[in-house]
Amino acid sequence: MSACQKAARPLTQCLRQSQASGQSVRTIRMFTSSSRLNEEAAVETVSFKPTLVLNPETVTSRKEEKKLMKTGVFPIGSRRRRAAIKTSDNIPFEQLPYQCFQEARKILQADREEKLELIAKERLRISNLMATDPATINGGERMKKTRLSSMNRHLEYLKIQADINDPLIKKRFEDGQGDMNKPIYRYLADRKWREYQRKIIVQRIEQLAIVPDVLPFFEPTAEVRLAFRTRNVQPGEFIDSRVSEVPARLKVQVFDKGERLVTIVVIDSDVPVVDKDAFTTRCHYLAANIPLSPTETSLPLSRATQEQLVHPWLPPFAQKGSPYHRYSVFVLQQKPGKTLDTAYAKEHIQPDGFSMRSFVDKFNLTPIGIGIFRSIWDEGTAGVMQRHGIEGADIEFKRKKVVALKPKQKARGWEARHASDKYKSLRR
Amino acid sequence: MLLPRLQPPLRAALASIARSSPSCSSGVCLNEAFAALALKPLVFVRHASHAQQGAVNKAKDGPGKRLGAKKSGEQYVIPGNIIFRQRGTHWFPGENCAMGRDHTIYATESGYVKYYKDPERHPKRQYIGVVFERDQVLPLPRNAQRRRRLNMVAVKMEAAPPALPGAEGAEPVVSDLVLESGVVEGERKREVVKLLKKKDDRKGEEGRNLQLRPGYMYREGNWEIGRAAERAGVKVKAFKPRDRWTAWKKREVRFAKNAEKRSLGRKIGGK
Repeated sequence: MSACQKAARPLTQCLRQSQASGQSVRTIRMFTSSSRLNEEAAVETVSFKPTLVLNPETVTSRKEEKKLMKTGVFPIGSRRRRAAIKTSDNIPFEQLPYQCFQEARKILQADREEKLELIAKERLRISNLMATDPATINGGERMKKTRLSSMNRHLEYLKIQADINDPLIKKRFEDGQGDMNKPIYRYLADRKWREYQRKIIVQRIEQLAIVPDVLPFFEPTAEVRLAFRTRNVQPGEFIDSRVSEVPARLKVQVFDKGERLVTIVVIDSDVPVVDKDAFTTRCHYLAANIPLSPTETSLPLSRATQEQLVHPWLPPFAQKGSPYHRYSVFVLQQKPGKTLDTAYAKEHIQPDGFSMRSFVDKFNLTPIGIGIFRSIWDEGTAGVMQRHGIEGADIEFKRKKVVALKPKQKARGWEARHASDKYKSLRR
Repeated sequence: MLLPRLQPPLRAALASIARSSPSCSSGVCLNEAFAALALKPLVFVRHASHAQQGAVNKAKDGPGKRLGAKKSGEQYVIPGNIIFRQRGTHWFPGENCAMGRDHTIYATESGYVKYYKDPERHPKRQYIGVVFERDQVLPLPRNAQRRRRLNMVAVKMEAAPPALPGAEGAEPVVSDLVLESGVVEGERKREVVKLLKKKDDRKGEEGRNLQLRPGYMYREGNWEIGRAAERAGVKVKAFKPRDRWTAWKKREVRFAKNAEKRSLGRKIGGK
């Protein structure tokens, strides 16, 4: 947003709100049969020029949305909600003149109070249990631990239940203004992700056989959005080699609290090996000790520092004729408080024949998210390989001829009789 | 035939006469005896219709369809070999196998046939698979890496890939090279000239790359045909929807042409 727009924005908002409040007075339902005051008197409309500054809360046309998004500000909620904001009076919930609505709010508030009390009680119980000596508990230290963990789980549940019915929280989440440090917004984001996006990525993991090929088992718990420059990548999409020449941009949203360090690995699981008549894997990027938290989601791979970087970005390439290459971008969570020794990794981990299973086992990592794309030979691949000094652009893979089990049958019948050169003209 | 049927009623009548003779009046007794004599009707069932065709009169057994295993366990197969012919899915395609449209199981890789069950994949199904080494076992342990084979050979590309995209006019460059090499030897030069003469096509059709295409037709690709006008340098004025002036002029030309044609036709007809 430009400076003048920034300066003008609060002013326009103020103007709009004053207008809205005036309307709200007018539209409140009167319980009289006579005509309304403002209908009798000629209403003077405040005429002010509509400013060109776009409000993210009220843009409804696609054109305006695009214009706004170009300035870097994203419109809130849905287009339908924005249209509703535009046309309604935007009275805060406390002042809405609907009796039933207000009664319902009271019930919700009472429920929230109850939940808060329960939370306080649970906290007290937890602190009490922490203070007790495990020898006095029936079951000892182990029992104490299990009880503590279950109580903590219940506490988290209560925290979410206290806020889950709040309409304002729902609104803020839908507008993208939710604070990811709070458990309720993380819970809502997780639910939304699991509704659709997670299902897609899980399906791709199965369809592209990432699970038996790269890892023995994997349940994604973090949302990973993959992009190259401005090109967003849907899971499993075929990407032009010229697009994927630059390092990818990742947006990783984790749904559990706290900051942690992650390792990013990009591997190609379909590297052809002609000598062995098989496939192997290759690491295209490896960086470790990258901080990640629910609020800091952006992870551009090009921004990794020299200390974090183990293998810099090697652009994906698929030689001509080879079957499509699957590139998986793994986000691996490191154990809390542990850093990965990148100097050691630089020495000991070769990009060729990189094994994800052994890497995960060796450095004690937990895979949390994945982004997948595919690539095949295209017009730009040779150029990409030349620019990055990769050999093998002039090699083409062709199908191996299968030797038949039986010898070719001798000609019989008509064909045998007409085999001589006398009948050459008959032959094709 | 009739005699055995008559026997029981006659016997009953005689018995009744013998029983009645000492006690009851003779008239009643005789009536009873005749009533017992009454013959039951002979029953022949004849339905209105009787199926004549199909499997009614004798079960028909058609020719055998030669179903069953065509390759046994551990037999070597190559891609496309039929392993099992069946009606329905008695067997399912497992590793490196596929199923045809009549449920035939065939191999997609060369290797050794294995018949197996995979309860983790499906508790009831039985599978046919192909393994690369004879001692390999199916099913694979769960979450184990798949065994895959490349089945490809690496060859040098005939034409080196163009380093820069949009390198047009690759054909004429090649022909120039041919010409230069042809200059050295007289005979070869003649050949080259002949070749070039053959290639002397219509305007815009030089250097056409004719290939055998579906339908057994030697022709170039649709996209190349679409570019023919561009190659020939044909320029067409852009059509403007509301430009009546140009439309009117075109119409004039067309009308004049048609009138000329008509007049010619009359002359021919008149002769």
